[in-house]
Amino acid sequence: MKIITCIKVVPEEQDIVIKADGELSFDRAKPTISAYDLNAVEAGAQLLEECGGDFIALSVGSGGIDNPKLKKNILSRGPESLVMVADDRLKDLDTHQTAKVLKAAIEKVGEYDLILCGEGSSDLYAQQVGPQLGQLLNVPTINSVSKITQSDGKIVVQRTLENEVETLESVLPALVIVTSDINLPRIATMSHVLAAGKKPATVWTLEDIGVLELFNTIEVIDTRAPQQVERKQDIVEGDTDEAIQEFITKLSTVLAK
Amino acid sequence: MSIMKIERKRGEGMSNEGFDVIVVGAGVAGNVAAYLLGREGLQVLLIERGNYPGSKNMTGGRIYSHSLEKIMPDFAKEAPIERKITREKVFMMTEKSSIGLDFQSSLLGTHGSDSYSVLRGVFDQWLAEKAEEVGVEIVTGICVDDLIIRQGKVCGVIAGIDQIESGVTILADGINSLLAQKAGLRKEFKPSHVAVGVKELIELPAELIQERFQCNENEGTACMFAGFPSDGRIGGGFLYTNKESISLGVVCTLSDLIKGQKALPQLMEDFKTHPTVAPLIKEGKLVEYSGHLVPEGGVEMMPKIIGDGVLVVGDAAGFCVNLGYAVRGMDFAIASGECAARAVSKAYQGGGYSEGDLQVYRDYLEESFVLHDMKLYRNFPKFLETTPRVFSDYPKLLEGIMTDMFVMNGQPTQALVKTIMKHINKVGVLKITRDAWKGVRSV
Ligand SMILES: Cc1cc2nc3c(=O)[nH]c(=O)nc-3n(C[C@H](O)[C@H](O)[C@H](O)COP(=O)(O)OP(=O)(O)OC[C@H]3O[C@@H](n4cnc5c(N)ncnc54)[C@H](O)[C@@H]3O)c2cc1C
Repeated sequence: MKIITCIKVVPEEQDIVIKADGELSFDRAKPTISAYDLNAVEAGAQLLEECGGDFIALSVGSGGIDNPKLKKNILSRGPESLVMVADDRLKDLDTHQTAKVLKAAIEKVGEYDLILCGEGSSDLYAQQVGPQLGQLLNVPTINSVSKITQSDGKIVVQRTLENEVETLESVLPALVIVTSDINLPRIATMSHVLAAGKKPATVWTLEDIGVLELFNTIEVIDTRAPQQVERKQDIVEGDTDEAIQEFITKLSTVLAK
Repeated sequence: MSIMKIERKRGEGMSNEGFDVIVVGAGVAGNVAAYLLGREGLQVLLIERGNYPGSKNMTGGRIYSHSLEKIMPDFAKEAPIERKITREKVFMMTEKSSIGLDFQSSLLGTHGSDSYSVLRGVFDQWLAEKAEEVGVEIVTGICVDDLIIRQGKVCGVIAGIDQIESGVTILADGINSLLAQKAGLRKEFKPSHVAVGVKELIELPAELIQERFQCNENEGTACMFAGFPSDGRIGGGFLYTNKESISLGVVCTLSDLIKGQKALPQLMEDFKTHPTVAPLIKEGKLVEYSGHLVPEGGVEMMPKIIGDGVLVVGDAAGFCVNLGYAVRGMDFAIASGECAARAVSKAYQGGGYSEGDLQVYRDYLEESFVLHDMKLYRNFPKFLETTPRVFSDYPKLLEGIMTDMFVMNGQPTQALVKTIMKHINKVGVLKITRDAWKGVRSV
């Protein structure tokens, strides 16, 4: 089976700094794999172990995704090779344009049996790219998948819905969007990390995949953190009985309000 | 003759990766050793258990530049250092007072003997990038659990299910080096051999720091506090100014801490609220809190640093001096990393990494300041330990003299000499002389 997992690269969440005016600073945030896509990568890795074949990771984004540490990170999690479309014109792309670029990249990669996507991105979580990509590729597209098994050129998947678990069979090629509880993404071992450095990684520009025009419909004007609640900054110092009493009195007056 | 043919025997089921050198721990010691060997063209693997180099490393905050300067001339121009230290303050502190000495001199900034405040999170990452640039393979987020040992020779490392072979392994895994223990080079250390430190990183705007500490942009102050911060026991407080933050902490000998009334977090709280310290950090935002051990057993605690196929560097080897009020470890870590790299490089050319082949490591350490200074301060920890007056009585003595000199309350004043002698007599002239003599002899 030939599997392609699509990965969004996002800034490392814990390194995003919220400035006093609510503005977000990404200066210290390194590029990393969107958390939900880790499940899609793991699902691909497990299928590959099960039935062999070929497993490629694909990511499109701005030039910054062409980062050696990030590439190693992706490749240490199971894919045998990596394809990136890294181009600054791809910054802040809307979901439809992202799907379009992914489609062009997939067509350049060639034949495939299964495309895997995560349920949404960990930064914007629009949950749009997977379904749109399936539509553009014109292949059966199934979301909310919490289990995948394959046999004889077909896949059987489970969709966990609100009140029922649906089991569906689909022909290949197909596109499957997995949930975040489908599996527990593996932690790369040292030999995986070392091997990752030797796996092939290809980086394309938009021209390479023949996308000559983008019609981005969104423009990001501002991204701000919601306003913080003003803290009282009422600090009681020391551990004497009086201090503890003062603390309790303060607490109870506030709670009584 | 290629030595790797001899060294790189791969057994069944082993990883087919093999390296000339594996360095465990990407602190300053490990990074420098890996960098130098990578530069020599050896195949080097550097393994760090933190998610990135520097993520698990702590220091007070000041690096004496001399040892890194030798390896990377003018490093401070490129490296992410915080501020060049051009002002030194030393305080004797009691609960209510502090008596300080302020030393500002252009001598402090002389190239090659200057010092810089640093934050390891960024500094170690930069060092690791330098190593990567010369071809070192760095793996982070992986903890080395054990060593591959065959017939007493260290042949590589074990991490999880992986075994990776190497000609020689350098242990740069910090003070609590479990691997040196596994290699049979070290025993558990005694409480008197280590001190514990806590540190808070407090954010403040750069201009405010410059104002409060009277320094220029890019320049900074180091403050040492003896007495009150460690509750009169061995240890002290420190403060280093970074670009936009302050590193503030307390160090206390473990054996002393056990005897005392106050736990370390409480010492830190009291230190922060002391009238001398509080205004310096006012309106600051606490962004990081960390704790770490400090080796201070001197040569007494030094493990065996050379074995068959293995060398120990930096804190893992106990290379650090704790002067009670200040700790010096990073320049030792760097210099020992350099000595180890030179030794490995020589052994590589010579054709083997037996304990005998690696003995040059000790020779290089003897030639450098590392072992010299370790021996120089050999008795200093003991002096501090057997002379608790340094941290309790003397700050009080100074407080007494100063209050008598400066507090005017209408009581008849006494001549200066008389005032001073009154306080000295409280401790005892003989004791003071004896302590001074002991102190001088111990260094
Ligand atoms: C409170 C305090 C204040 C100090 N102040 C100063 C100062 O102002 N100036 C100064 O010069 N020195 C100071 N020191 C001492 C200095 O910080 C140390 O000497 C120095 O950090 C030692 O560097 P190192 O590279 O040997 O070890 P470390 O920096 O401890 O690095 C060891 C590395 O090994 C990694 N590691 C450990 N075990 C494993 C494993 N099994 N597998 C993989 N990786 C592993 C760790 O994650 C870590 O990154 C201070 C120390 C303390 C605690």
